[in-house]
Amino acid sequence: MIFIKSIYNEVIKIALKPRSYLGIAAITVLVGVILFALKSDGMSIISFVTSSFEQTLSFEGNVLNGNLVAFIILQMLIVQIPLLIALVTGDLVSGEAAMGTIRMLLTQPISRTSLLLSKFIAGGIYTLMVIVWLGFMSVIMGKMLFGTGDLMVLNSDGLVILQEADVNWRYLGGFLVAFLALFTVSSLSICLSCFTDNSIGPIVTTMSIILLFTIIGTLDVHVFDSVRPFLLTTHMASWRSFFEDPLPIQDIKNSILILFIHNVFLISISIYVFNKKDITA
Amino acid sequence: MSEKIIEIKSIAKKFGLFEAVKDVSFHVNQGDVYGFLGPNGAGKSTTIRCMLSLTKPDSGTIKIFGKSIFTDRNEILSRTGSIIEKPDFYKYLSAYKNLEIFSRLSRVSVGKKEIYKMLDFVGLGGREQDKFSSFSHGMKQRLGIAQTLLHNPDLIVLDEPTTGLDPQGIIDIRNLILRLKNEQHKTVILSSHNLAEIEIICNRMVIINKGVSVVEGDVKALMNSEDLVVRLEVSDKNKSKALIMNQYPNIQITDINETSIELPMEKSKISELNKDLVNAGIGIFSIEAKRKLEDYFIKMVNA
Repeated sequence: MIFIKSIYNEVIKIALKPRSYLGIAAITVLVGVILFALKSDGMSIISFVTSSFEQTLSFEGNVLNGNLVAFIILQMLIVQIPLLIALVTGDLVSGEAAMGTIRMLLTQPISRTSLLLSKFIAGGIYTLMVIVWLGFMSVIMGKMLFGTGDLMVLNSDGLVILQEADVNWRYLGGFLVAFLALFTVSSLSICLSCFTDNSIGPIVTTMSIILLFTIIGTLDVHVFDSVRPFLLTTHMASWRSFFEDPLPIQDIKNSILILFIHNVFLISISIYVFNKKDITA
Repeated sequence: MSEKIIEIKSIAKKFGLFEAVKDVSFHVNQGDVYGFLGPNGAGKSTTIRCMLSLTKPDSGTIKIFGKSIFTDRNEILSRTGSIIEKPDFYKYLSAYKNLEIFSRLSRVSVGKKEIYKMLDFVGLGGREQDKFSSFSHGMKQRLGIAQTLLHNPDLIVLDEPTTGLDPQGIIDIRNLILRLKNEQHKTVILSSHNLAEIEIICNRMVIINKGVSVVEGDVKALMNSEDLVVRLEVSDKNKSKALIMNQYPNIQITDINETSIELPMEKSKISELNKDLVNAGIGIFSIEAKRKLEDYFIKMVNA
């Protein structure tokens, strides 16, 4: 029962902290700008992509529709979202230490493990809220402003066209995998947060790790070949797999498994460190 | 004989190479207002942190309510209220919201009415919805005490609760502690570096210095006003020493400077000594008497 109350406490703390709304506000502004740009001059951007196929294919109907707009938005923003997540979750333990409230919390009759797990869950709830908002802003707003239609996706294998009726479940799957990836970012930042008493350090370190992993993942160097499949950032892009035809189920399962293992590993380390930690703040 | 609420035996704690606590032992009886006295850096806060499982001692045992803090932590903490060093709350939340957050983690049901009542009890009535960040130091301390008492604990641990308070704030906190003892029969541990404060409020105490508990016992007995250390400033130090040694052969006289000496003496004998020195033609510039423990403590703080 105390565990449930503790989760509720953590959610309330996140909800009442002004910083938590930065992420929501940033998504609103960024998506707003992209929607405005696409509404104003979207067809010229689309022409840039379709021009290379025009000799072999002819495009009819509403190409620049809500489904494509949502896809473009997700592709552009999914790199920025981890920062918005880490901004809140990286502060969940170290912020309490910096404020001194960790002393007050740990003199309450709740185990350190329960308290920490409630922070992970609250971080997960916040991540879910951000994803839901991103989903609303991209898919729902996109469809409201641009209408609906078949989704045209350009990937490494060429152009994939997905039927309108075949798209919604792919978005749902894509968002679920994106949530798991962002939850892993949340777990990473909370884990780093357990090592320090300063509130900025874990946020900056999380972003540095993501940046480093992204660079390793992008560099086409053989020395990183064995590491690349296990990097968090490699699987952060797995949501895109839902927009391939046929669906690469094994790749998706593999990504889910690796992200899940990341989470178990990060949460286990956090519990160990937090239970051993001397509260001197 | 009163039930022992806390039993601490030979705890030690190192942070890296620094030995914050070397060997601290003491016990607190039910109903005690127990003074935990020591200069800054003596190891008081580390000992309290060990008691409340904020840090784990390297060795020693800690029993509270007859149970080990290492195995029955949650049960012990559910019956304990504490302020460690200073009460820190969420700056962006109101006084009410802060108490509500902490009350959810207690094992007793605390409703809105109880929170309002407690805020009123500590003198924060009418400020319930004000943000913690807008509170003065004294108000923060009061909110800390409200949080400490909210779940009606049997044991209250207050680490330097009067630090930084104005004189009226100090009096209010003292009166509050005395009310807790007299009206609600709570057991209170009060950590302080102020001997006078401990003497006013506590019935038992321990003195801790450099991580070691050096004296423990009844405050009245330890602060015996008959057992004094007398400092004399005289015109002829050597002549005075000879005269005193003659009168009190086993007395230990300490040289302070060219004209001053210090010696232990019972209160009743000071006037007699004064008379003897005057009769011997020695000029007395000043006589300053301090209680032995007070003198010991001042030397400890200045060391």
